[in-house]
This record gives sequence, C-alpha cells and structure tokens, in this order.
Amino acid sequence: MTTSRRGFLRLAGLGALAAGLPACSSVLPAPDTTAPGFGTSATGTVRVWCRAATQDGLTSLVDRFNASQDRLVVELTPIPDVQYVTKLATVIRARDVPDLVDIDDINSLLFVYRDAFTDLTDLIADLGYADRLSPGHLALATVEGRQYAVPYLADCSVLFCNTRLFERAGVDVDEATTDLDALRDAARRITALGGDVRGWTFPGNDQGTLGFVVQPHVWAADTDLLRGEVGAQRGNVVGNEAVARTLEFYRALWVDGLVPPDAFADDGSRWGADYQAGRIGMIPYNYSTVVLDSDPEIVADTAVRLLPGPDGGRAFFDGGDNMCIPRGAANASGAWEFVKFALDLPQQSALPEGGFTPVRSDVATPEFAARYPLVLPPLQAQDEGYAPQTLAYNEIYNQPDGPWLAMFRRAVFDGEIEAAMAEAQTGYDRILRQAQA
Amino acid sequence: MTVVAPASRTSSGRRETRTKRLLYAVGGTGAFLVFAVPLAWALFRSLQPGEVIVAAPDPAAFFDLTAENFTALVTGPGNLIRSVGNSLVVALSCAVLTTVLATAAGYGFARFRFRSGPVLFALVVASMMVPFQAILTPLYLQMNIMRLTDSLLGLVLFTTTLNLPFGVLVMRNAFSTIPGELEDSAHIDGAGTFRIVTSVLRPLITPGAATVALYAFLAAWTEFLGALTFLTDTDLYTLPVAMVNLQQETYGEINFGYIAAGSVIAMIPCVVLYVALQRFYVAGLASGAVKG
Amino acid sequence: MSAVTAERTSAPLASRPRTARRHSLTHPPRVGLLLVAPALAMIAVFVLAPLLFALGISFTNWPLIGEVEFTGFTNYVSIGSDLGFLRSVLYTLLYTAIVTLPILVLGYALAVLVRSRRRGATLLRTVFFLPFVVGLTTLSFVTLLEAQPNSGAINLVLAALGITDGSTAWLVDGPLATALISGMVIWGVSGLTMLLLMSGMQAIPREVYESADLDGASWWQQEWRITIPMLRRTIAMSLVISVIGSLLAFTQFYVLTKGGPGSATATVVLYIYKRAFVQLQLGAATALSVVLVVVVALVTAVQLWLVRGEE
Repeated sequence: MTTSRRGFLRLAGLGALAAGLPACSSVLPAPDTTAPGFGTSATGTVRVWCRAATQDGLTSLVDRFNASQDRLVVELTPIPDVQYVTKLATVIRARDVPDLVDIDDINSLLFVYRDAFTDLTDLIADLGYADRLSPGHLALATVEGRQYAVPYLADCSVLFCNTRLFERAGVDVDEATTDLDALRDAARRITALGGDVRGWTFPGNDQGTLGFVVQPHVWAADTDLLRGEVGAQRGNVVGNEAVARTLEFYRALWVDGLVPPDAFADDGSRWGADYQAGRIGMIPYNYSTVVLDSDPEIVADTAVRLLPGPDGGRAFFDGGDNMCIPRGAANASGAWEFVKFALDLPQQSALPEGGFTPVRSDVATPEFAARYPLVLPPLQAQDEGYAPQTLAYNEIYNQPDGPWLAMFRRAVFDGEIEAAMAEAQTGYDRILRQAQA
Repeated sequence: MTVVAPASRTSSGRRETRTKRLLYAVGGTGAFLVFAVPLAWALFRSLQPGEVIVAAPDPAAFFDLTAENFTALVTGPGNLIRSVGNSLVVALSCAVLTTVLATAAGYGFARFRFRSGPVLFALVVASMMVPFQAILTPLYLQMNIMRLTDSLLGLVLFTTTLNLPFGVLVMRNAFSTIPGELEDSAHIDGAGTFRIVTSVLRPLITPGAATVALYAFLAAWTEFLGALTFLTDTDLYTLPVAMVNLQQETYGEINFGYIAAGSVIAMIPCVVLYVALQRFYVAGLASGAVKG
Repeated sequence: MSAVTAERTSAPLASRPRTARRHSLTHPPRVGLLLVAPALAMIAVFVLAPLLFALGISFTNWPLIGEVEFTGFTNYVSIGSDLGFLRSVLYTLLYTAIVTLPILVLGYALAVLVRSRRRGATLLRTVFFLPFVVGLTTLSFVTLLEAQPNSGAINLVLAALGITDGSTAWLVDGPLATALISGMVIWGVSGLTMLLLMSGMQAIPREVYESADLDGASWWQQEWRITIPMLRRTIAMSLVISVIGSLLAFTQFYVLTKGGPGSATATVVLYIYKRAFVQLQLGAATALSVVLVVVVALVTAVQLWLVRGEE
C-alpha cells in the first residue's frame, strides 16, 4: 500500500509537470500594431518590468505617467539584474508575459533573435524623431532591418578630466585626448605632480567596468573584438592591431606607475573614490558615478571628453535600457502609449537628474546644455555610440572567469600581450560556439 | 565531566590539577578572544561610516562612531524594515511548520512499525544529500507552475523542506530514547495519539523540538539564494536579498557601510534566540547525537 | 552507540515478542503512516520531483526560448570533456581535504574545554557556538569587508604585527582566497562539532574515568583510549555532516569570490549554478547536478560503511 502511494505521488507530480510544459514550442502571437487607435486610446493596466539597477528612474517615470492621465495605470515590477534574463525567459515559456519590459540593452538581442519581441519599426518611424534616437541602442535590437525595441535611457562611457590637475601640469585637455599616445603623455605629466596624484585610474579586477571603458578605444578604430553576423560570430582578437595597441596603452599605464597601485585588485567596489578625492587626472566612467553625490567642487573642475582610439577617432559604450513589447502582451497599445510618454522631451530632459543620459539628441537645447554640461558630449556625438551585437556578451565580458578579464589582466599586469590575445581568441570562439549552437 | 583527582591523593595529582586549571584558563581565554573578538569587531565596524571602512586607517576618523549606516538602512529607499518583517514571518513559519512535521514524522518512524518504514526513512535522510542549488532551476520552473513563486508561502514551504530531513533525524532519535511504558500507560488511560504526544511526551521531546525549531529558524533567516530566485516583488524581499540589492549599485559598486550594518542586523535575532533557547538546544543535540 | 543504548533499555529479551504485539495495538501502523506522510509529501514535492524534473531536462537541450529538443545522453557524454567542471571537482575535493580535519580537531579541542563544569564553561560554550549561529552567509559578508587590502581588519592586524605591509588582496588570488575562506569556515563551523562531541563526552559515565585514574592512566592516555573510541559514532556523524557540507559548499564562495579569479575558486555547485544561470545551458547544468547528487550519495555511503566496518 505504501509503495503504491509513493508511486502515486510521483506520478501525480510528473503529471502536473507534464501538463505545465505546453509552452515548449511555439512563438507567442504578436500584437497588432497597425490597428487604428493603437497607442492612443488604450485603457486598463499596463504591466511593466524594469531592472533593479535603473529602477529609481522608472519609478518616478511611472508615477508621473499615472498622474498625467486616468485611462491607464502602470504597474511597475523591478527585477534583480542577476535574474532578469532567466525570469523573462520563464514567463515567455509560461505564456504570461508583461506588457512592456525595460531591459538592459545588451540583453535585447537574446530575445529579439528568438522572436520574443514585437516588431516596432513602423511605430518608431511614425514618431517623427526616429533619426534623433540613439543608433547604438537601436542596432542592438535590429534584425534584418526590422527594429524590435526602442531606446529609453543611455549610460555612456566617457572620459572625465580633472581640469585643475591639468592646469597644474600644464596640459591642454583637448590636445591630451586626441589619441592613445597623447593620453599616455598627459597621464605622465599629471603623475609627475607628485604625491598621491596619478594621471589615470582603472579597476583591474572588474570585468564589467573594464568592458565598459576599455573597449571604446578599439571601437574608435572602427573595429571590434567580435566579427560576423549574429548567430555565426567568431572572435576578432588575434591580429587586431587596435586591441594590441589598447592593451599596450594600459600596460604602459601600469608599468610606468601612472595609476594607483590599488588598480591591481580593485574589483569596482570602490570605483571612482579616488577621483572624488581629487587625486586622479583622468577617469573613464559614466555620468552617474562621477557626478551624482559628488563634491560639487570636483564636479565644477571636471570636463568631459570622448574616448579616443589609437590614432584618433572617438567612441563610447552605449549602455542603458531598451524598451520592448513582448509578443503575447495583453495591453500592447497601453504599453506603447507609455513608451511615447517616456520618450517625450520633458521626460528625457529629466534623465540626468537620475544620472542617466537621454537617448534623444534633440533634447540638447541651450538651457539643457547649461544645466547638464557634462552629459552633453555623448549626446552631441550620438553616432559614435556603439555596443556589440552578440548573443554572448554576458558570458564573454561580464564574468569574472570570462576571457575578457583574463586577457586584460594577463596583458596589462603580466605583460604577455600576444599570449593573452591568443588565449582570448580561443575563449571567445569557444563561448560563441556554445551560445550559437 | 571533570577528571579531578582528589587533591590530597598524591603530589603529582595536585600538580596535575593545577596544570589543568592553568591550561583551562589560558586555553579558555585564548579561544574566547578568538571567537568573540571578530563578532564584537563586526559590531564596531557597523558604526563606522562607509568611507572610513574602505580607507586606510586614519587615527582621526577611525573612532568617529556614527549610526548613519543604520539610519540609512532603516529610512532609506531600501525598505529594510519591511524585509526584516518578511524574514521574521518566513523564519518563524518555517520553524513552526518544520517542528510540527518533523515531530509527527519522528514519532511515526521511531515508534510505529510499518512495512515501508526503513525505506521511507532512508529516503528522508538521502534527501539531505541533494544540494538545492543543483535543482534550483527545475524547482523554480515547478514552483512557477504551482504559483508558489513570488510569494512568502512558497518560500516558507521551500525552507521547511530544506530543514525537514535534519529535523526528522533529531526527533526520531528523541522519541526512540523514551521508554515505551509511558505511552502504554497513557494509552490504557484512554489517550489518543495526539494527546499522547502533546501532553505525555512533551517534556521529554521539548529539547529535541527546540533544537529543530532553532535550527530551522536560523536556516530560514539566513537563506539567500532561494529567496533571490523565487521572489521578484521587492516588497517581499527577505533581509539577505534586500541587503545585497541595496549594496550593488551599477557595475558592482558596494557600499561597505551598508554591508556592515546589515550584517549586524542579520546577526541580532540569531544571537538573541540562541542565547534564550540554548538550554534546550544543547540538550536536544545531546539526545540527537548520542543515541544515534 | 547502539551498544550504549542496548544497555540502557530495560526490556529483557524474553518479553520482546509480547512487547511487539502490544506496540502494534497502541501504535497501529496506519497511524504511523499518517504521521509520516506530511513530511514525506513535502520532500517528495520539493526535493524528489524537481530532481526527477532535472533528470528529464538533462536529456534535452532546453534553450532559453524556443523548442525543447530531446538529445539523449549528449549532455552526460560531454561531461568528460568539460574541463571547467573537472577543475571544479578537483578544487572542491582539495577544499574539503583542507577543512575537514581542522574542523574536527578544533571542535574536539573546544569540546574538551567546555565539557567540564568549571566556572565560565557555559559562557565559553555560548561564545564558541555563536559564529555557527550567525551563519555562513552573514559571516561571508563580514569577511568580505575585512579582507579588503589596506583597510580591512585582517590586513591591519597583519601590518601591525609586521608580517606584511597590509596590502594583500586576499580575494583576488586563488591560494590566498582559499586559505582565507578555509580559515573562516573552520572558525565558523567547528562550534557545531564541538556541541556534538561535547554531548557525547558528557554521556560517558564517570566511573570509566575514575577506574582509569586508579590504574594511573594519564589524561592523554584516557583521551585516546577511552573518550575517542566511545565517541566513534558521534565523530563519524560530525565527519559526515562536515564532508557533505564541504562538498556542497556554495554561499561563501558566491559572496566572497564568485569563483574567481578566473575559476580558481569555483566549487562544483558554483560551477553548476553558473552553467544554469549565466550561460543559460539548462540541459548541461542538470546533467551535472544529477551526477553530483549521485557522487555525494556514494561518498556518504562509503563513509558510513567505513565506520560500521570498524565496529
């Protein structure tokens, strides 16, 4: 009797599970975005997911939207970044998707590539300012010419310069930031000021930040560490001169003592503290860390420049959020109305308050420029923004045991640049092969 | 158990006693410091502002104690009070549920002979060897289907199951040391099973039950990964998850002041409960351990 | 230990059959089953069912989104060539080897200290067990703080003692991180061993020691010849608990190093977690999980058999 009871329990459990696995197959139906009144006359609730890292901005946006009209109510659910992709994938399988997801733009491709999001191309074209939206963000959600997401906020990597230290060292900020050699020179002159002062700083054990601030040097030379179409990519490390020269630049910074010794072990947990203390000449990072909650004196003495390549050129990492409407959303029309609100000039102009950069370049009116001078440079050079289109960004660049960090550390701290690059090539290829299987 | 030779026996006996006493004093003090100092230090740390914690020690600022970490955690956007409440609800429910189920099962395994008994008991013990991290994703998918994700109830059921094997082990041992006559005479007096357990046997199994309850509470209180996976709504976050959430700003920056204060907050109920219940706890472990 | 119990029960051999029949009246099997059922149901639903589910998934490729394909034993076969996994197994075994004996020895030493009824023994017992009560999760967070170079307490103490200059980055170096984590675990977990052993020690009748005293045995001899052999079962149990815990170690590594630098400190469970949640390869990860469960079960069975064999 007992054996059969156990058996029964097990069968019942399996049965329940089997019944719950229906969504193994098909793609969810796409909402009809061409229906009349789409995005203007919806009612009811709009379920929106956002990621924990940017939730403050989203919360105030949602509050303002709900207060501005009474047809729609937006319910916001912040999801921890670590679990975001898994949870979204799970609800897609369970066919119970939110109406709008505000997702880390780097992760958009994972879902776009698998047909999980709605085609927004025509809706975006109808916006009227499509050409002033961040192309880097849009590219991350574009497959075969069709766009499946819309940018919402940007988090760009730029170079912050302590103008007071520059003055003391007799270096001109613009001249110093033309190419890698000029940067190195400026760093040397600033470090020569003595004491605790260093020309540069970087977190040598923080793969995410390094990916954010080091890669633009390579992109400014019009190349990337990956090549090929999404789904059939390979590493582009070995033989890539821009990569070699960028690594040489960082190696020199370390060997010549132009960065604080902490750089070796810094895992990013105290990133930016030394710049805030006024000891660093140049720090590549993002607006929110350097400017928000900072000593206003330091901020007043800060100038922003875009990161240069080995021989000139400019680039910056187009981080931030994309907004996407999952296929199978119940209230897609309401979601799109919310998106339009989020992209409206007043809302975009308010983004720097939360530490973010707008994604619309027409936000840069003279008043805006006067209020937020440090946010301007990437806005005015939106076309130089870029982020790699790939299915394996997280595994390659954001893991402590990923090939990106291993290559950086081996090249910069051990000085074995060529060997590091060869090792990275193998690592990149292996991961891409697994991810594209 | 004190091996104290009567002082008047031999001169070497007397010396031995004194040596032993000295060893005890020295060893005890040394070990006490090794164990107590780090915990006291953690308390001290939580009263230092975040910037001081991460800076090289500067005698001027080092002893400038402040409660700012705690106030930030309590009044800030982190909703820490709510997460403490959530943790309490989950930990208490888990403790109660685990104790009740483990007591029932322990009694059943110890005293009742049914054919599948040994097999079922082996199953319970074997499940201790399954690391829940290994089955986390299937479990998440399954709980999603059962609508138990993003709910404190689901978390309670999860943490209870984690602690059941150990609980059943302890309670079974507790019951098996009780002589059978007690139940027999109670039965003759007409008491049903429930009465037998709750009135007659209660005083004898209380140490074991207290052990199980305390163990389950501690485990549920510090449980991190399960809570992180199964909970989505920030209002439902338990303390460890809320702490990690607070600390990780973009790109891995950590506010160490918050970590220090959060750790102290996490420690307090554990220490308080343990000190209050340790009388039972120690006896409970004894009954569980010795009569294995 | 069952020998001790046998001496304690009062039922003489002759009356056993009668007792058994009486028990079946006061303890009907059906009621027993009823009592056991709820706990078993929970375990069946929340442990066994997911395990079976995992088994099922391990035979497929279960992608992030899209069709699930049956792939047979592919995932299991590729374990053999999964260098990352094999490396994590070696590391976990190394870590287990490092911490197991010290936990036992330290726990034993502490138990010796607190088993007496001298003054302060209760206080000592409380303090020694506190780290265990606080839990590995919280302890890891505290250690995260104090292992920082130049500002953490560990480095400050080392610098003050003149051993280093206080700039050691413990968590960025494989061997150093391993040493640090091992130290923390030994410190935080030995309290449990202490309590288990102490209870066992206190159950040994004083007469045994008193007669040994009469025979002139020294303290050390008594410990070796009397205490340890009588504690065999308890020692075995603490070893089993400690070894299983070490083989399945996760939280402290997740909090302190996330398996880094590279994968120098990745334990098996951490590796499986990454496979599932970062690389999103559920099929492979569940296959690894199934293998892990089997291995841990085997190791435990072997340990228990070894102990039984000695008796």
